[in-house]
Amino acid sequence: MPKWLRGYLLMVKWVYLSYRAWLSLNFAVQIGIAVGMIYGISFFYPGITPEIAKYLTTGAPTLILLIVGFVVGPQIIASARLEGTFDYIWSLPVGRMSHLAADATVMFASTMPGIILAVVLGAIHFDFSLDISPLIIPAVIMIGAGGTFLGYSIAFLVPKPMMVMVITQIFSFAVMLFSPVMFPAERLPGWLQSIHHVLPIKYMADLSRGTITDLDVNLGLAFAVVGAWCVVGFIITLIVVNRRQ
Amino acid sequence: MLLEIKNVHKVYKGKVKANDNISLSIAEGEVFGLLGPNGAGKTTLVNQIIGLTIPTSGSITLNGVDVVANPGYARESCSFQSQTQVPISGLNTLQAIELVGRIRGGSKADVHKRAMELIEKLELGEWQKTMGITISGGVRRLVAFCMAAVTPGKIVIFDEPTNDIDPLRRRILWQEVQELAKQGAAVLLVTHNVLEAERVVDRLAIIDQGKVMGMGTTSNLKEDEGEAMHLELILEPSQTEPPLPDYLQKPVIVNRRILARVNPADITTAIEWARDLKENDAIEEFSLGPASLEDIYVRLVKNPDELELPGEVT
Repeated sequence: MPKWLRGYLLMVKWVYLSYRAWLSLNFAVQIGIAVGMIYGISFFYPGITPEIAKYLTTGAPTLILLIVGFVVGPQIIASARLEGTFDYIWSLPVGRMSHLAADATVMFASTMPGIILAVVLGAIHFDFSLDISPLIIPAVIMIGAGGTFLGYSIAFLVPKPMMVMVITQIFSFAVMLFSPVMFPAERLPGWLQSIHHVLPIKYMADLSRGTITDLDVNLGLAFAVVGAWCVVGFIITLIVVNRRQ
Repeated sequence: MLLEIKNVHKVYKGKVKANDNISLSIAEGEVFGLLGPNGAGKTTLVNQIIGLTIPTSGSITLNGVDVVANPGYARESCSFQSQTQVPISGLNTLQAIELVGRIRGGSKADVHKRAMELIEKLELGEWQKTMGITISGGVRRLVAFCMAAVTPGKIVIFDEPTNDIDPLRRRILWQEVQELAKQGAAVLLVTHNVLEAERVVDRLAIIDQGKVMGMGTTSNLKEDEGEAMHLELILEPSQTEPPLPDYLQKPVIVNRRILARVNPADITTAIEWARDLKENDAIEEFSLGPASLEDIYVRLVKNPDELELPGEVT
């Protein structure tokens, strides 16, 4: 087995054991949110049509993945920085990116049951059919990776861990209310639509919609834009994480 | 030499000079002590050896490899016990030791055997399955020691390994440190506990305010003291320091302790003076003897703030 793979797998075990208590709680919360979201939507929109419900439900995976990658991940890193955890972890013979990959792997694995449940419950409750494509796998990895790269870069670039918490909270607010994840981009003002033509969030939502339903989205464009952002995010994270004082 | 540090300067943002032209080397099988008060720059130097930070100037080579340019090689070669507590809240003692042993490249069977051996030697058996979050600071530090020693690198670095540890286990820990050196590892021991270090190290460097103030074997460092004896007085808690006679050379006052050199010709006079102080309850006790490493340390370091009183030394 290559050394990097062995290091990565052992770090996955380390991270899993370290977060075990939190992961159980996170698992329960994810399930609760998934069920609550699907049934809560019915209270929010009493006359919701299957088409709108389909849009909302298929936006949920992107929303959850982005929140975990960009909000939960950086907040865990900010706490770890405060506790001096990285001084020890980074002295181990495992690349810093392998450690972060292990961290992200465990976090995203813990969100999967919630995401799957939200989509399946949504389809049953709002009576629409799913059309799952094998492309769902790269789509989920790319959405998760894109958010994580951005989140980790901020977590290591912002000098004060408390500031990281504030920035990530603002981001989660912006994604939920001002990004075309849970509603079509056409509802946003023109200037915000233009911004979202460049940012990856809309395309991430397209990736999840296009790979789990028959909704008409330009998957090729979505993969290209999110892929480009992933490459840029990876390079930035690589530089930021490997910086030494 | 396995580790060569040459003219290392480290200046942090804000112009804080943490290391100032440090040069030293450590050989395989050697226990090298890095002594100095808090803030002397010891941990800064260690962080550069293991590739966490980079020197402002100077070079660090390990086995001939430039570790400033190859931090990965430094991580492979150095096993390290950090001064801060290790992040093992969610792991139990055995899991933490074994996982690090495996990450450092040990096989499952070898790592398990060695982990159990360390747990037994350091009498950690009752915490073997206890989660890190519930164990005391002292036990956690012992676990961190085992994590550094389970699959030792070419260099094993211990940064203040005995903080919070009870006297009996300290003794076992020091034996284990010497055992690691016997097996061929170069051990870098960072501490401000001078008395303990004297018993363990082969060579040492005393650093203060980022500079090497003295380096060599304990005997080398004591040579400069010549035939002079060292007088030590411990003041009564309520007493202030008495006026010091002129024949007490280079007196240093640390908390309730007064340390000074006395030439052979003045020894009788000095003893009489100290006896008078004792009879008048100005001092608790006094002693006169050849220079100890601690005497050298106190003289070389500007603010030896962590020196312990004899009763506190274990």
